[in-house]
Amino acid sequence: MNIVEIEDVTKTFGRQTAVNDLTLSVPQGSIYGFIGPNGSGKTTTLRMIMRIYHPDSGRGTIRVLGEESYGAANDRIGYLPEERGLYKKMRVREILRFYAELKGRRDFKTAADPWIERLDVTDWADKKIEALSKGMSQKIQFIAAVIGEPELVILDEPFSGLDPVNTDALRDAVLDLRKSGTTVIFSTHDMDMAERMCDFVFMIYKGNKVLDGTLEAIQGTYGQDTIRVKLGGNGCDLSAIGGVEKVNDFGRLQELRIIDGADTQDVLSNLMKLGKVEHFELTRPSLHDIFVRIAAPDEKEADDA
Amino acid sequence: MRKTLVIAVREYKSAVKTKAFLITLVAMPILFGGSIVVHALLEDKVDTRDRRVAVLDRTDQLFQTLDNAAQKHNQTEIFDQEGAQGKKVKPCFVVQEARVASQDLAQMRLELSEQVRNDEIMSFVIIGRDVIDPGEDQSENTIAYHSNTPTYDELRRWIGYVLNERIRELRLEAADLDSDVVQKAIQSAPVGNLGLVEMDETGQITRAEEANRFATIIVPFVLIMLMFMVVMVGAQPLLQSVLEEKMQRIAEVLLGSIPPFQLMMGKLLGTVGMSLTLLAVYLVGGFLAVQKAGVVQFFPTEIIWWFVLFQALAVLLFGSLFIAIGAACTDLKESQSMLTPVMVLVISPLFVWMYVLQQPNAPLSVALSLFPPATPMLMIIRQAVPPGIPLWQPLLGVLLLLITTVLGVLAASRIFRVGILMQGKGAKFGEMLRWIFRG
Repeated sequence: MNIVEIEDVTKTFGRQTAVNDLTLSVPQGSIYGFIGPNGSGKTTTLRMIMRIYHPDSGRGTIRVLGEESYGAANDRIGYLPEERGLYKKMRVREILRFYAELKGRRDFKTAADPWIERLDVTDWADKKIEALSKGMSQKIQFIAAVIGEPELVILDEPFSGLDPVNTDALRDAVLDLRKSGTTVIFSTHDMDMAERMCDFVFMIYKGNKVLDGTLEAIQGTYGQDTIRVKLGGNGCDLSAIGGVEKVNDFGRLQELRIIDGADTQDVLSNLMKLGKVEHFELTRPSLHDIFVRIAAPDEKEADDA
Repeated sequence: MRKTLVIAVREYKSAVKTKAFLITLVAMPILFGGSIVVHALLEDKVDTRDRRVAVLDRTDQLFQTLDNAAQKHNQTEIFDQEGAQGKKVKPCFVVQEARVASQDLAQMRLELSEQVRNDEIMSFVIIGRDVIDPGEDQSENTIAYHSNTPTYDELRRWIGYVLNERIRELRLEAADLDSDVVQKAIQSAPVGNLGLVEMDETGQITRAEEANRFATIIVPFVLIMLMFMVVMVGAQPLLQSVLEEKMQRIAEVLLGSIPPFQLMMGKLLGTVGMSLTLLAVYLVGGFLAVQKAGVVQFFPTEIIWWFVLFQALAVLLFGSLFIAIGAACTDLKESQSMLTPVMVLVISPLFVWMYVLQQPNAPLSVALSLFPPATPMLMIIRQAVPPGIPLWQPLLGVLLLLITTVLGVLAASRIFRVGILMQGKGAKFGEMLRWIFRG
């Protein structure tokens, strides 16, 4: 069963089309990652699922949890907006109680205490929000989103601003949510995170859907066109090698994208002429690389303009 | 409804728990009552140094009168109680003959002015030659009081009073008329300002109450100032609260839990609760104050519930407008300019309250008091002035106010709904109107 079903939905603001003719299905119990450059329509899509925005009239339908009704208020959905979302002057426990009551939970303590303990915010529970660090308030925000035990959790960039320890803690919490049957949609700029966590990845670019599916399926469409290379010596320009379309230099490691149909053996022998090949791996492109392939050409155009 | 209450409770708590609320609670009476208190304190601190005045009596008949009156004044008028234990609370008036060397009047003036400048005297009076029997020369028919302290009026008025009494006497004598007879002849009959009489249970006809200036003007004035103040203190924080929710993206989370109309109603109810808390403190305080002062009959007991009702409705109506503005703006600075038209509406009753007070039943007063934004203040004024107004008028006023408030809340929730998610740019009035009608 699909928790979210978006069909042919368009959303425009004035003359600008934020989301264009989008169709998307989010199966129950999955973790769905939304990626895309800034301003490409991620947050607009999330807000439409939240029903804070309505799609342009007469353009498609959005069915969430089997309902097509209007009005954003839904106790079965939890939401974490991009940054902030908390009253600065309230204390942590007060604000969690407030959000719990708004979602119809009366047993605030049993709902909140496990989360407070789990995300290690016990020491901060009686502090005011304005006294918290960015990462700490992000965790409070997360608890506020899940405290009503929603069936669908929508997280807009939940990992931004977190240190590695807190990132891990929050990631484990999200994975546990899925284990308990909750469907999670989150947007992120962290491609590694999306690669490792998501059952499905959806990429929106300039309002259009450009990727949608499991990571394997997405990578599959690009084939094994990437070579990871590590060369001894001081390094040299690899882009001159025949059959290489593009070089991503990571410093100690280079990623070569090869021209469709080029012979990888030729590339290897050319590399061996340049120096000692310490590592040579034929692989599928990473999500990061795929993202850049889609988004970069235009960014370059934008830079030129 | 339950969620509306959750919002209302949070709004109430966050408003009442702030330092600003406590400060306002204390500061407002200080602001309003401060001038009275300071005035009372200063009463004790009167400058009781002698007031020395030089008199140039060109009639040669009036100086003695003035000197005698001054001595009488200094013996009887300047102490707070009679007898030896009386404390001196007013200055002595010391009258002396002008000591000048020159003969020329202009020179004398100059000389006396110098004496004032040198602090030898406080002021000087030149009594015209013909003040008793006025002649052709206008400058000789008048009394000239010169001083360097034009705002201190007590001495000038006292001199004028004493001299004119004496001049009148002298003129009557000259005309061979008995001053007592004349006094009686020209005495005016006072016109009392009375209410109506009614028959009480025992069949007695009550005595008409003397209409009291305090009750008829001060009470309505205090009531509408209180109402105005509570609207400003109570409803304006809504604007900040909405701006915070908008800028901190709290609104998105809230809208995911509660429909905008209920959210608005919750915020408004919380604010009404807070305003009524404030009002209760002031009303109880006011009641105790007038009771202590022994003038409890001036406390407007009969209309107090109407007052509370109108206060609540005023906060609701203006609160919804403040929310709408908060939702349409991106920062506090921007909201200030958008606020102006709403402020004009809030203040507008203050422009016409005197007219309404003096003619509470004029057709224009009735019409003005049924104009919803002005209803709370103007209706209360009309109710406060005896004998009050027909019951249907405040009832109609409440009905119109309720309708306007619901429309206001609806409009505000539409603006809230659209405006709250707009980031980075504020709305124009035209856009706000479009949101109201298109949603």
